[in-house]
Parts: sequence; structure tokens; C-alpha cells
Amino acid sequence: MKWTHEASGFDEAFEPSGRARPHYKTVLSILQGFSGPEIERRERLQKLSLLNQGITFTVYGEKDGIERIFPFDFVPRIIPAAEWRGIEAGLVQRITALGLFLRDIYGEQKCLKDGIVPAPLVYSRHEYKRELLGVVPPRGIFTHIVGTDIIRNDAGEYLVLEDNCRCPSGVSYVLENRNLLQRVFPELFGASPVQPVKDYPDLLLQTLQHVASRMSQKPVIVILTPGLYNSAYFEHSFLAREMGVFLVEGHDLIVEDNHVFMRTTQGKQRVDVIYRRIDDDYLDPLAFRRDSILGVPGLVNAYRDGHVALANAPGAGVADDKSIYAFIPALIRYYLGEDARLPQVPTYLGFRQADLAYILDHLDTLVVKTTGDSGGYGMLMGPFATKTEIEAFRDKVRRNPGNYIAQPLVNLSAHATYTDRGFEPRRIDLRPFVLYGDKIRVLPGGLTRVALRPGSYVVNSSQGGGSKDTWVLAPREA
Amino acid sequence: MLSRVANALYWMGRYLERAENLTRCLLVTEELSTEIHAFNEKLAQAEWSDLGAIFPGDVDGGSDLDHLRGFLAGARNPYSILFSLGKARENARAVREALSVEVFVTLNETYRALEAHASDGSADRPDVRGALSTTHTGLLSIVGAVEHTLSRDQGWLFLKLGESLERVYRTAAYLRAKLPGLLTPPPDTDIPLYYVQWRSLLRSLSSLENYRKLHGARLEPHAVIEFMLFDPHAPRSILFGAAAVKAHLEEISGTRELTVPARIVGRLHARLCYHDEGPALPLLDDVQAELGRTHDALDLLYFGT
Repeated sequence: MKWTHEASGFDEAFEPSGRARPHYKTVLSILQGFSGPEIERRERLQKLSLLNQGITFTVYGEKDGIERIFPFDFVPRIIPAAEWRGIEAGLVQRITALGLFLRDIYGEQKCLKDGIVPAPLVYSRHEYKRELLGVVPPRGIFTHIVGTDIIRNDAGEYLVLEDNCRCPSGVSYVLENRNLLQRVFPELFGASPVQPVKDYPDLLLQTLQHVASRMSQKPVIVILTPGLYNSAYFEHSFLAREMGVFLVEGHDLIVEDNHVFMRTTQGKQRVDVIYRRIDDDYLDPLAFRRDSILGVPGLVNAYRDGHVALANAPGAGVADDKSIYAFIPALIRYYLGEDARLPQVPTYLGFRQADLAYILDHLDTLVVKTTGDSGGYGMLMGPFATKTEIEAFRDKVRRNPGNYIAQPLVNLSAHATYTDRGFEPRRIDLRPFVLYGDKIRVLPGGLTRVALRPGSYVVNSSQGGGSKDTWVLAPREA
Repeated sequence: MLSRVANALYWMGRYLERAENLTRCLLVTEELSTEIHAFNEKLAQAEWSDLGAIFPGDVDGGSDLDHLRGFLAGARNPYSILFSLGKARENARAVREALSVEVFVTLNETYRALEAHASDGSADRPDVRGALSTTHTGLLSIVGAVEHTLSRDQGWLFLKLGESLERVYRTAAYLRAKLPGLLTPPPDTDIPLYYVQWRSLLRSLSSLENYRKLHGARLEPHAVIEFMLFDPHAPRSILFGAAAVKAHLEEISGTRELTVPARIVGRLHARLCYHDEGPALPLLDDVQAELGRTHDALDLLYFGT
């Protein structure tokens, strides 16, 4: 089988000379020992296994085959112990600061008064919920589950690209990818000390139990899903099964006297903690969008009264806004008195007059993003865009500059990936999952997403992305 | 447990049972039709139309292969095996967290294999028979997975309730469709053929061996009817089925007062227990009507749909 390495940008598996990096040597030599037909046979096995287990996601706007498997590439992404230590410490620091920021802007608003973040910027964010000013969530935790997207630049430096503080998805694939790789390529695990990830459901359950208000009795914990046709439904049901908690839809819940109950065959049963996988806007038609049929009328008031914990807390989404992002290094310094351990991508704000002029002058070299959108939607990749696309975007930015930010294009790192032409480099990113309970824990590894189209930078599952098993190697025993 | 989940499990049980019943009936009907076609073509056709009365749905064309295909996966047939299996899977998908991995995977595999077969338009009779047998084995595996891996909680009870209610309902429908013709055979009926039909009836209700254990090889029409209605041990007799529905309902409601569905089924069960000699057909009509009322009462009490 042919192996090619990446000429432009950082190659995870190979040094520029073409030699395998030290931490990849073992795995690559095992894979290189397989014949082409043997690799193909195992690829088929792996696809069949995904289909039979129903590990699928739903693509919006597609007529046929609404259930699709999330393509899995079996060449694992490997992170050495020392590199992981840096990422882990950086994430703990960052999530700590984000938590302090959220408590602050929904409380005393010191960072706004001290001018660290412009108040009008915060107030103009759609995800900032003024209704919740002064509401302290149980144990003061806003972001119980965060998925932070990390990329590597040409020098191999890890950079934070964005935080996901609402309902980050993908963790079920982290667990299923590991299962799948262990089943299809057990040989790979023989020689490498890979840190396990399978205790995630236990840790998540502990995280959720930590914020239950009724401590004397066994708290009732539920996952609130928009339902079967949501793209991440598999994950919702997977996590409910793995944690042994109820999976509920909006109409399964009712609020009475500011307490939340679920409708069961034995009548009403009180609910203590809701891991909601529904956006703020759809959570409660009485509080936010009135046309929401996914939500539960009265839920936000029950939360406000402290009778139910919501994970993540409503209003937490403002912390992952793409323009707030630009202020996070300053916020880390402000709250913790430390420099940010993980660098991030330089960001120009449409909100700032000087930046706006720069953005409009450099649309053809910048990546422009809509602040509220995610999933790779609503963005302009300047270097790859046509003149017409650029001009269309220029209009949009001019009309509503506060809704846009721009960043220089960062060459994502590339990773050897199995294709029908042999093993070729494809662009990847990394989404580690961070749990905030009695302390902050980072699941070793996370979801490595891979852009399967050659040269593509778009790793989103909805737009032709796949994923890899992510290995964090255990520290070598001295 | 959640009303929505209970409802999905109940329907999953019903659809799985329905798919299994039809798979078995199709295998028997196909054989019977092949066997008697040369003797009595009208009778062979009647076998297919009887099946259509038990599992009402449209079938395009009149050949044996058309019927087989129509009942297996006909596009316009809401009682086809593929349709029922698809519905069972849809319900399972909506409550995956209430099921074990084994149950979901066997169901998913069985459905996907049948779906793949259905999209292959070139299938001939042996192919369809092959698909039927594979599906039947798959359905039994699902039942096995349910038996071996699911916790005996409320969810399991609702699944079993759906299964037992569907089973006794379908047995009643089957007998109701077959008995009128069998009890008043046309004067020109060939005697060996007549007994082939009674044998097929027992096989369709997977009761031939059980009947023989009790009565030996002789197929006495009245003994067969008595057996299918009142045998206390045969899993597909009406009495056995009513007792199963009753037991599941009582276990679901626990020690609380008698619920509306439990009353309906309790009365039906008592009536079957103390039934004297009498015509079978009105009794079968009543069984179906009472089960319909039971379903409505369940909906109101537990599912709130």
C-alpha cells in the first residue's frame, strides 16, 4: 500500500523527511504489514458493524437515506503523553475562566465595568439571556459539558479554534470509535499503552449528580432530546443507555408549581437534573421562542427557582460566541492572573471599527464566520472563494458587522488516512470533552474529525467529514 | 416508566408478533397452495384470499409469487412483513435506551436483510422462501434476545403485553377467517385435501405438534377447534393468550385496584374458562371486540396518546 505525506502544513504522522514520527512508528509498521486485500476486508467489516449497530446520524435536507453512518477512518490519531499534559492543563485553565466569566456577566458584571469586554458586545449577543441576570445555577456551574475545538498550525502548535458551551456533540463517536477499532484492528493495541475513554458515561453521570438539588434521595436525571429526527439522536440515546437514565422528549415533561415532572405509566415523577440537548431558544416556549414545540413550558422558571438543574445552564452559549472568543486570553489573565496556556487564532471583530476596515480589505485572504452559527455553516473561506461569493459576503458583513468575525486561514494539520488510492494525508482537528463537576476533568483524547475530501478543510459530519480514534498515550513508567 | 416509552415498547411487541405470525402463515400458505394447486385451483386461490382477510392489505397480481411478494414487502401493504418489521424497528429506535444492544442489533440486522431482499426485484419463489426462512429465524432471535437480555421491568411487561395481545387477536382472526369454510365444506370436497387444510391450520398457528401430543395423528375438526380455543398449555390457544394478557396487565398495575383494561380482559378470561359447548364463531367475534376495547383502555390509562 502506498503512503504519502503532507507537503504543506504539519503532518501528524510523518516528519518532513518522510520518516514516521517516533510515536507513530509502532502503529504504522503494523499497518504496513497488512496486504491491500486484508485492509479492504477489514474496512468492509467495520462498515457493516456500524450499520448493524445503527450507529448513524441524520443529515438535514436530504431526501433519501436520512440515516447515514459517520465515516470512520481506522488509522488512529496519536497524541504523546507530554503533549496531552499541555492540552489538558490549557483546557482546565480555559474552562475555569469561562465559568468565572459566565458567573460574572450574569452576576456583578465586573469584567464589563472594568472594560475587559465591551458591555455592548455582550449585550448584543443573541445567546446572552438578559432574563437570567442574577440567576445562579446550582453550585454555580454553567458549563457542565464543553467540547473545545483544537487545531494545529504549520509549526505543530495546538491552537484553540472555538469552544462549544451549549450542547457539544460527538462524544458517543469517541467511545464507539474505540470499540470499533479494538474489534477490527485488535493488533494495533498490543504494543501501545492507550489511555482508556470508556469511563466517560460514569464521569458524566457524576457530573450531573453533582448539581442535583435533592441530595437526600436518589436524584432523577434525564436527557432531554428533540427526538428521533435530530441529527445527534443516536448520541442522546447512547448516553441515556450508558448512564442508565431516562431519555425524554419535551412532551414527556410537565412543570407544576415550578417543579418538573415526567409523565410515566404510574403517574407523575419528579425530575432533578436535565441534561438537555436542545438549544436555549427551544427550551421553553414561555421564556424564549414561543413557537417551540420541542421544549417544556415553564421549565425556565423552575430552573430560576432552583428546583431543577439544567446542563448546560441556559445562557451559557454566550461564552462560545465567536466574537467573545477574541477576549478569552484577556479574561484568563483578568480572572486567574495567568497567561493562557493554549494559544488561539488571531481574530478580527466586525464589531470593532478598525478591525472591520481590515476585514473588508482582506476578504480574499481571511476566513469570515457568522458569530452565532456552528457546524461549518454561514462562513466564507476567502482564499478558496469566488469573486461573487466574496462580494455577496462583503454586503452581509457591511449590513450587520457585529455578527461577523474574521481570522487568517490556519492550515489544519494533516493525518494519514485510508483512501481508495492508498494512505493519503487529510486535514484533521480535535474536539476534547471537558466535564465540570466537583472538579474539571478532561477525557483523554476526544473526537478527531477528518475532512475526507482531498485538500478540504471542512471536517463537519454534515459536510463530508469523518472521524478517527484518538489515542492519548499513557506516560511511560520510569 | 415514561408513557411514551411504554407505548413504543407495546407497539414494538405487537409489530414483532404480527411480523412473526405472517411469516409463519406465508410459509404454510405457500406450501399448501403448491400442494393443492393441481387438484383444486379455486381452493388454492381461496387460501390466499383468507390470508388477506387476516392481514388486510393490497397485493398486486394474482400469482403465488405476486402474493408472496405482496405479503413479504408489498409497497401498498400496511400488513406486510417488511412494514411490520420496519415499524418495530422505528419504535425500537425511538426507545433504544430502554432496550439492550442485543435486542436492537438483532432487530436491525433482520430488518436490513429483509429490506435488501425486497429491493432485489428479480427474486423467484425459492428466493422468497429463503428470505422468509431467514426472516423467521431473525424474528426468533429477537424474541430470544428479549428473553435473555432484558430486565423484567415495566418495559419488558409492556413489550410482552403487546406481543400477547397481538398473538391472541391474530389467532382469533385466523380462526374466524378459516372456520366458516372448513366447517361447511362444499359437497365435492376431496377428503384427503380437507385434512390437508386442517393440518395447515394447525401449522399456521404453530400448533400441529402440540395438538398431536394430545390427540395423536387423527385430525378431528371439533377437537382441533376445542384445542385452539381452550387448550390451557398451547401458547397460541385463545384461552392461553387471554391468560397471558391478563397476567401481564395485573403485573403492570401491581397491587393497586383493578384497572379498566384488566377488568375487560379478566371478564373475557373468565368467560373462556367457564365456556360451555357452543358455536365458535360468535365467541371469536367477541374475543376480537373485547381485545379492541382492551387496547383503547390501555391507550387511555397508560399511554395518554
